[in-house]
Amino acid sequence: MDQVLSMLFNGLSSSSIILLTSLGLAITFGLMRVINMAHGEFLMIGAYTTYCVQNFFKAYLPNVFDLYYFAAIAAAFAITFAFGCVLEKLVISRLYGREIDSLLATWGISLILQQAARSIFGSQGVFVTSPSFLSGGITLGGNTYSFNRLFILLVVAFCLLLVWFIQYQSNFGRQMRAVMQNRPMAQCMGINSRRVDCITFGIGSGLAGIAGCSVALLGSIDSTIGQSYIVNSFMAVVLGGVGKLLGTVFGSGIIGFFSILFENFTSSSIAKAIVLLIVIIFLQKKPQGLFVVRSRSLDE
Amino acid sequence: MLKLEKMSSFYGESRVIDKLDFEVEPGRVVCLIGRNGVGKSTTLKSIMGLVKVPEGRILFDGRDISKLPTYERVKLGIGYVPQGRDIFPQMTVQENLELGLQPIGGKGEIPQYLYELFPILPKFAKRKGGDLSGGQQQQLAIARALAANPKILILDEPTEGIQPSIIQDIGAAIRKINEMGITVLIVEQYLEFVLGISDDIYVMEHGEIVLKGKTSELSAEEVQKIMTD
Repeated sequence: MDQVLSMLFNGLSSSSIILLTSLGLAITFGLMRVINMAHGEFLMIGAYTTYCVQNFFKAYLPNVFDLYYFAAIAAAFAITFAFGCVLEKLVISRLYGREIDSLLATWGISLILQQAARSIFGSQGVFVTSPSFLSGGITLGGNTYSFNRLFILLVVAFCLLLVWFIQYQSNFGRQMRAVMQNRPMAQCMGINSRRVDCITFGIGSGLAGIAGCSVALLGSIDSTIGQSYIVNSFMAVVLGGVGKLLGTVFGSGIIGFFSILFENFTSSSIAKAIVLLIVIIFLQKKPQGLFVVRSRSLDE
Repeated sequence: MLKLEKMSSFYGESRVIDKLDFEVEPGRVVCLIGRNGVGKSTTLKSIMGLVKVPEGRILFDGRDISKLPTYERVKLGIGYVPQGRDIFPQMTVQENLELGLQPIGGKGEIPQYLYELFPILPKFAKRKGGDLSGGQQQQLAIARALAANPKILILDEPTEGIQPSIIQDIGAAIRKINEMGITVLIVEQYLEFVLGISDDIYVMEHGEIVLKGKTSELSAEEVQKIMTD
């Protein structure tokens, strides 16, 4: 019984981390159809931002040190949001409709950002200290649930709510959906589509920043931290059905739970291979993913 | 109200429209007719800024708008219903309608008369735009273009693919809209509809106006001849 509970919690936790890193991709890749190879590096920027904010608090505000983490979330979002907007304006906006070119260009940017991180922070991984209210965990039955992982669940729920609110309840979200569904017509409705593109990409990147802030709690931060999360994220978005928020939630869940399940029986690398195989077989049967956007038009 | 002066338009390298002069006077229903592929829709797209116009001027209320981006032109008071309606398929009817308020900042109310003019709109408010029939989409597209109270309503082939009874409804709606003081510009191929609704007619051939005049003074046979030759 305890073992099942522990497995469920680990699955949930692993899913939530995948979901957190996928949310940004669900926007930039799912909605905007931009394959941003540097998305993982935005996550890295978020993680290093957390590290810097932590050091700042250690040096100048040691008596409110625990609050650093909230400042870090805000800073990570703001910095990656700005990075995303600049990247969109300078590179991606010039490459719309040229997927291969934008894939190559963003891959180059990803390499540049990784090397920049190595030059600034060194190739050795760095650690952040969890704020005191997040150290430890609750013990229930025979299992310990760490506060870190419980906290990440909260962050994911918050981000999901935020994305849902922006997309479906705000005026900007309405503009965003209009531009993504039919760009020329959205312009004919008086919507500045360039501005919408830029801010949308910024939001997607900012979410990667928040994800980076969360994964900073889980282990060491180095220049390749983004790479270890990005593959699962792309898989989750594609599996869920590109362009559907709910699809990304389920896609992350499936990948997260299955990895943990198979890890119980084999090693973690074999588990990864099995999950990948399942995803491949599933996409052979349903290439559009779990959730398909239905419409009357025949061209989809 | 709207005036094109020696306007040329290009699709890529090929010149579709060559030095077109064209005018819509305020308060009138003006129809631009012609056969397939003579440049009617391109003319409208040029007015909206969806096609490049390297030469000539487009004057709206005396101001040259040919260098403005599309979304700025719309804010000056142009409502546009494109060919094929271009309803946002994944949004509800109500959301589509409220997008019509974007030119005035996305705030405010949908004018009440639109619900009276098109009773299907409140009835289907919660349905997806993509689930409506062609005629219903057309009515939604017209209402959407009118939501921000534009000075001019531009329609691209409003009768295309729509059953005759709905065409009559749409014709009557356009008349009513015009009586409220909104200028209307329609591109059409369906001559009978045009003769019934318009004040002025322009006939287009190969990107040029070959015949123009008041509907009451033009002979229908002559227009028909150009259209079928």
